[in-house]
Amino acid sequence: MLETRPLAMRAVQVAFLALLLGLWFFAVGAAHVHRLLLPDPVNVWVEMRALAVSGALWNAARVTLTTVGEAYGLAVAFGILIGFSISRSRHAVRLFEPILSGIFAIPLTLFFPLFILFFGIGTGSKLAYGGLYALLPVAMTSIAAFARVDPGLIRGARSMGARPWALLRRVYLPAALPGILNGMRIALVICVAAVLGGETLASTAGVGYAIKLAEELMDIPRLYAWLAFVVLASFALNLLLSAVESWSIEA
Amino acid sequence: MTSLLAWSGLRGQRTLLLLALFLLWEVAARLFADPAMIAAPSQVLSVLGPRILADPHVLAAVGLTLFELTVAFLCSVIFGLLIGLAIGASAIGRRGVMPIVLLLYAIPQAILLPLFVLWFGIGPLCKITFGFSHGVFPVILSTVAGLRGASPLLLSGARSMGASRLQIIRHLLFPHMVSVLFSGLRLSMTLTLLGVLLAELFVSTSGIGYFSQVFAQTFDPAPLFALIATLAAMAVMLNEAVRTVEHRFTRWK
Amino acid sequence: MGSPPHDRERAGVVRIDQYRERASAAAPAVAISAQHITQRFQGRNQQHSVLALDDLSLEVHQGEFLCLLGPSGCGKSTLLNIIGGMASPTAGEVRIGERAIVGPAPRDIAFVFQESTLLPWYTVLENFKVAAEFQNNAVGWEERARTTLRSVGMEGFAEHYPNQLSTGMRQRINLARGLFLDTPILLMDEPFAALDEQTRMVLGEDLSVLLARTGKTIVFVTHSLAEAVFLADRIVVMTARPGRIKAITLNPEPHPRSPDFMMTPRFGELRNELFTLLRDEIRHTVAEMREARDRYAEPRNDA
Repeated sequence: MLETRPLAMRAVQVAFLALLLGLWFFAVGAAHVHRLLLPDPVNVWVEMRALAVSGALWNAARVTLTTVGEAYGLAVAFGILIGFSISRSRHAVRLFEPILSGIFAIPLTLFFPLFILFFGIGTGSKLAYGGLYALLPVAMTSIAAFARVDPGLIRGARSMGARPWALLRRVYLPAALPGILNGMRIALVICVAAVLGGETLASTAGVGYAIKLAEELMDIPRLYAWLAFVVLASFALNLLLSAVESWSIEA
Repeated sequence: MTSLLAWSGLRGQRTLLLLALFLLWEVAARLFADPAMIAAPSQVLSVLGPRILADPHVLAAVGLTLFELTVAFLCSVIFGLLIGLAIGASAIGRRGVMPIVLLLYAIPQAILLPLFVLWFGIGPLCKITFGFSHGVFPVILSTVAGLRGASPLLLSGARSMGASRLQIIRHLLFPHMVSVLFSGLRLSMTLTLLGVLLAELFVSTSGIGYFSQVFAQTFDPAPLFALIATLAAMAVMLNEAVRTVEHRFTRWK
Repeated sequence: MGSPPHDRERAGVVRIDQYRERASAAAPAVAISAQHITQRFQGRNQQHSVLALDDLSLEVHQGEFLCLLGPSGCGKSTLLNIIGGMASPTAGEVRIGERAIVGPAPRDIAFVFQESTLLPWYTVLENFKVAAEFQNNAVGWEERARTTLRSVGMEGFAEHYPNQLSTGMRQRINLARGLFLDTPILLMDEPFAALDEQTRMVLGEDLSVLLARTGKTIVFVTHSLAEAVFLADRIVVMTARPGRIKAITLNPEPHPRSPDFMMTPRFGELRNELFTLLRDEIRHTVAEMREARDRYAEPRNDA
């Protein structure tokens, strides 16, 4: 999508980020922006190191990451299963697909209070919320991917005596994989956002909760420190996903 | 006879399916579920009138949410278009600034909620800006995409007929951009809704966040269900409204 | 590598002169004169440059239907674009009358492309209106538009959007728009290539009828031998890349031509003659493609 002269591109981006950092220092220093809104970058850096060293970072991250991991795992497994089952009949596809995309259009965030009601404010509610939210794109892309598998391939494999399990493994999954992977990528981003959002809204642990707590306690440098960690982590995740995408394209 | 035919079609089947689900819900709620947690559809419907639609405080909260949504969405479209035009118009913008925009888009914005409350307080401004920060991205992305994507074949055709640069912008680039923009509008509406809702739920001192919490903490879930159902209906209607506008402007597709 | 094609060129030149002598005594008026056209496409460095057209000269007569025929990659579309001012040659010049062509000449030359260039967000009629505005010739456009639409049988679709029509119908309308622009010269780049055979035949016949009426000068690029023989007065056979003129075949059959013409022995003879001329060029093109593929393939370990 974006091509040619990557070096010049990088230069512009680095310059832009440097400019933002410079603006931050300026705003805090010369422009006297209120410390409650924007803390001194140096303080934020100190706080970041404190969080990392004290283990608070790891404790919160562990909760969030396990929740995301479990929710995502369930979402992918069930999403592919549901997607495959529905894709078997064209009629079922036409019946269910609009329902799924309709639900996706209404942000599930609406139903978040219900998740709290059913599962309490522990990690269970975030798991259910993130899992369900991530399930939808996986299911929808799986339906499309499985339905589009070339029937010629299936007939060919069957005529050579392939049994249902082998058919699934050797024909359906590889053929549908690009589409499913696309849905999985979207689902991962959604899952992370949903779990973090849920933790921010109502939780007792995790990164989102830590952020909310920092704000309630008016510990602004700490708030920014947590935000900085999440931003860096999301950049890293984004780079990872892009790398996976280009690797899978080449393969 | 005709009614039977009407029900056998796809729409009929979908309606039947939904009705079956509702029936299942009703039975499960009445017989199995904990009445402190789950309300049956019939109960929900019975409180919908008195507790939600007739209650002026609740109605005001829903109305305020709708207002915040509309403002946030309109700002997303207008500013998203302007920002997108500014970025997409130059190569530096496209190749330099765009990746940064994409990275910002990738940040899970829910964590920024406390920050927005810090900056903008707990009133409607915070909800509007948070919704805007969600909805502006799809508009920027589709504007930038629209500026680039005009078909080279169409450009050749127009050039061969002697079109001037201004004519090309007016008759080729602009309509193309508008059509791509519209496809991003529905996503923008969904995301704006997401942002406003998140913000509302987070600030539980007033608005629908307050009522959600109040309804959840009593052992009477029916009003909570009813509130959510109302909001969901609102979401669906807004989505349909955007889709109708989209269809009206892209009839030629 | 292939054999140097100088002998082919010499043969081509001989045949051109041969046919020119056989043509009518009075030299026909020249509509377009392309002299010593060379087109070289630069690659990333000198080694990657491609010579598409090699010192090609051609005169298109007033009111004739000229076909450019050749194997794929021979540069016929490039030549058409250069003639029409849509591309600049590396060397050489194109003139229409006294005027040199250095860019699009919308009042003199109209293009019909292989795929529809109708703007999808306007109706058919609106497309004609916009075309007239582009051309700076908007006076009485609506009357002209409806007339040309009628001449291709599409007057009932004036209010339709292009996406509501089939590919064949869209190409008819593209053709109508080319006529609507009311230029003395019409350049067509494989306009029927994307259509099925039956639609091609019908459109080809309609085109022949239309042209008998309008007297425009037409340059038509095609792959199809049958199409070339059916439509053209003169057929320029081009060599494989780099493109030169191999031969020019005359086709004196009068317009309008009915489909019966396709069953006459003369049709078959002309077609065979073209095939013979093309066969070597096609072989040459295939050999070059194979060579290019091998050049970029993995070096095999057979030392």
